[in-house]
Amino acid sequence: MLNYALQRIGLAIVIVFLVVFALFVMIHFIPGDPVAIALGPRATPEIEARFVAKMRLDEPLYMQFFAFLGGVLQGDLGNDIFSERPVLTILFEALPYTVILATAAMAWSAALGIFLGCFSAARPNSLIDRITGVVSIGTITVPSFVVSIYMLIVFAVFLKWLPVIGAGEPGNFWDQARHLILPAFAVGLGWVGYVARMVRASMLEVIGENHIRAARSFGLPHRVVVYRYALKVAILPTITLLGIGFGNLLSGAVFAEIIFSRPGIGKLIFDMVMTRNFPVVQGGVLVTAILYVATTLTADLLAAAMDPRIRKSL
Amino acid sequence: MARPVLAVRHLSVDFRTLRGRVHALRDVSLEVPPNKIVGVLGESGCGKSTLINAVTGLLANNAEITRGEVIFEQADLAKLSERELLKVRGEKISMVFQDPMTAQNPVISVGRQMTDTLYRHRKLSAGEKRKLATGMFRKVGISDPEERMDQFPHEFSGGMRQRISIAMALMMNPDLFIADEPTTALDVTMEAQFIHLLRELQADIGCAVLFISHNLGLIAELCDEVVVMYAGEVVEKGPLAEIFFNPCHHYTRRLIECDPSRVLDRSAVLPTIPGRLPNLTRLPAGCIFRSRCGHAIAECATKSPPLLAVSETHSVACFNHASLIERPAGGRAPRLKSNASENPVLEVDGVHVRYPTGGLIRRLLRPDAPRHMDAVIDVGLKVAEGQTFGLAGESGSGKSSLGRAIMGLTPAKDGSIRFKGDEIRGLPPREFKRYRRAMAMMFQDPVASLSPRQKVRRLVMEPFEIHGADGRDLNREAENLFQMVGLSREFFDRYAHELSGGQARRVGVARALALRPALIIADEPTAGLDVSVQGEILNLLRELQRELGLTYIVISHNLPVLRHVSDRVGIMYLGRIVEQGPTDRIFSRPAHPYTRALLDGIPRPDPSMRRKLESIEGEIPSITNRPPGCEFHPRCPIASDLCRAVPPAATELNQDHVVHCHNPLQGA
Repeated sequence: MLNYALQRIGLAIVIVFLVVFALFVMIHFIPGDPVAIALGPRATPEIEARFVAKMRLDEPLYMQFFAFLGGVLQGDLGNDIFSERPVLTILFEALPYTVILATAAMAWSAALGIFLGCFSAARPNSLIDRITGVVSIGTITVPSFVVSIYMLIVFAVFLKWLPVIGAGEPGNFWDQARHLILPAFAVGLGWVGYVARMVRASMLEVIGENHIRAARSFGLPHRVVVYRYALKVAILPTITLLGIGFGNLLSGAVFAEIIFSRPGIGKLIFDMVMTRNFPVVQGGVLVTAILYVATTLTADLLAAAMDPRIRKSL
Repeated sequence: MARPVLAVRHLSVDFRTLRGRVHALRDVSLEVPPNKIVGVLGESGCGKSTLINAVTGLLANNAEITRGEVIFEQADLAKLSERELLKVRGEKISMVFQDPMTAQNPVISVGRQMTDTLYRHRKLSAGEKRKLATGMFRKVGISDPEERMDQFPHEFSGGMRQRISIAMALMMNPDLFIADEPTTALDVTMEAQFIHLLRELQADIGCAVLFISHNLGLIAELCDEVVVMYAGEVVEKGPLAEIFFNPCHHYTRRLIECDPSRVLDRSAVLPTIPGRLPNLTRLPAGCIFRSRCGHAIAECATKSPPLLAVSETHSVACFNHASLIERPAGGRAPRLKSNASENPVLEVDGVHVRYPTGGLIRRLLRPDAPRHMDAVIDVGLKVAEGQTFGLAGESGSGKSSLGRAIMGLTPAKDGSIRFKGDEIRGLPPREFKRYRRAMAMMFQDPVASLSPRQKVRRLVMEPFEIHGADGRDLNREAENLFQMVGLSREFFDRYAHELSGGQARRVGVARALALRPALIIADEPTAGLDVSVQGEILNLLRELQRELGLTYIVISHNLPVLRHVSDRVGIMYLGRIVEQGPTDRIFSRPAHPYTRALLDGIPRPDPSMRRKLESIEGEIPSITNRPPGCEFHPRCPIASDLCRAVPPAATELNQDHVVHCHNPLQGA
């Protein structure tokens, strides 16, 4: 297990390093003069010179990269061009909103998806199984921003059950929870289908295995056989999927945050792109990438830890 | 007679499929008396599994019981609701399945799985349940049950896992115990131990046993009564001795004749049952066995024979069985002469195969852990042209590794491998290719070794794609090969999954023959085949050997098969050939205690030759943790202090008979 964990962690570090490098290259190759893009046409040569010096744009490229890398390693992602506040602080203000949204979305969609998957796998090709199948495909194919807008119109504008925009009053738990419902629903909906299909497929495979027949031959009731014996084996590949899914939800949250105007990291990056505030964009992308890598890593390790065959042999 | 524990009466089961209704069981009746072991004998497709599933209420959703009843304790199980059945399953009827490696949940500890079967006993505390489970573990011969309870199934060997299956099945003291081919996946020594354990426990608990098997030897070894099934019908039933010594149905008789351990003359052609199972969707009129019978009379074509008594206890479903009582004058079985010469095709000397274990990080973390394991150690053998060398041994003994090393599929660490005098060990792939085409391999699992997406013709011609056709007419080659292995042209366009086990083997043989090799290595050529088909493949291999002058290395754990096909036999244990010599000598006068144990482990298809004792104790150790001295000493009944300390050298007992043992058995 330790061996495997070290391997995965090492790989994760390499990936993060590559992300840093790719990010630097991407920002550098955005067409146009970074000074003109950042400062606009009305900047005086003095301001431009100061900007160049501050951003170290006069140094050779590799020096710029090492400076950037060094900053990243020390947790220094530069400062906001306009407010001069450290990028890291700005990101950490926005991050909780996104993480909470993604977690809530994942939690409800995974729970429902796993249940639907088991439910239909226990009754393959029944009417309920077919309905679940169609609904699953439906939720997979509908884009989340479309869902978001319709949800807004129905529940917030017409029915007025839930608030329209924002993330709620800081510190007020109930208000924040009420503000979370619509975006979490919109973001998670697509995943219900994915998880349900995945769990159904692996459940069907496991239910066909010998040990399930054996468990049934020992007179264990259907409920125990399906939800304890079969699910425990079938859930393993789903965990890996959920890890990748969590990362995707972080990016899926961008739409929801823009539409529902939540001050999360997706909205932050979007706004900063609009105002060409590159250090914040760079930092935001980096943090998102690291989160993505971290969740995938966690899922891999979790899946390994849950499978005694892997746990002991690695 | 006491009232039977289980009585199946006129049971018929259909499966609804896309191709119509499959009549899987038709009018099946049988009884299991208390405290008796009843064997159900039949080949694949005879309806054994459907029968068990119908008895336990585990039939698939598309199955339908169209007629009949399953009486167990005065209730008809076929009519019980699922809820009522749950009380019977596990509590009063329990089962052991075929494959021990997949019979337990891989992510739940064995102890938990054991105690879960007691879930209906709410009165018992968790501690009491655990105590019962450990007691059962001890009973089936698992040492340190307290600690091993918390382990997961993958931490046990196959033999141990089958013991756990029994322990789980017997937790509740069932009245009826059903064993479905419980030893098919086990090695002979494990099989012998399992049968011994089953007999002991049955006597102890006093339950009735329904034992399902295709293995005549096992049935003879274990059962009191036998029910013979063919294509979903009971064709004959009666007491064990009656069935074996006075078989009345032509199918039973032919099946018993097919067993290679009954054909003592090695040059004889093995008897087979030509033809295939009928299509159970559209049943033929009359007797179900008519097309393969050879003794059919006019009545057989029109009416289905009922099961009629020939004696008080013995009944048979055949119109023409009387002819059996006066047996036809035993015409001599046709013989095959071998034309082996003295020119060695393959000479192997001092070959080692070593596999690395663990990666870089593992090595850094545990510097003292072994870095490799030796799968084959210091093996030498010689095979002359036209000869067959049989390699025997339990799983994990290194048979397949040795085969792969000869083929150059796995590098051999040192020693020499000479093919027709040329050294081929360690040749670079480009130079090896030349020799490669002169050697072919028949892989173990015939269906899995064929690509599922290619048609059979393409599969057979694949070797030409790799090695080039050399201007040969591929169409003619294909027809030739198909003819040689006895497949008709209609198979050209089939896919692997559309073939029966025997047909897939034939395709495997054709692929091996394509490039006209001099040497064929056949890895378990008959594993998973029914006895009646096994004979066909073995006969085919020998016929081809005679016609084409082929040299074979046959790898198998099935000793009767090896005895029949081999000229010389080598017995492998933990990567070494511990004994080798001419087949007749090895089988009649084994010198190594291990060889002796393997031979004793073969179940005899003769109820008068039942074994009294377990043939050998313990299990094959791991190759990463070899015992010192003679590696067999922990399991050897005659090990001395010398054996525990010093590895035995090769001793030549007689010309060509070499054994690695300090105390070779007398008489050898």
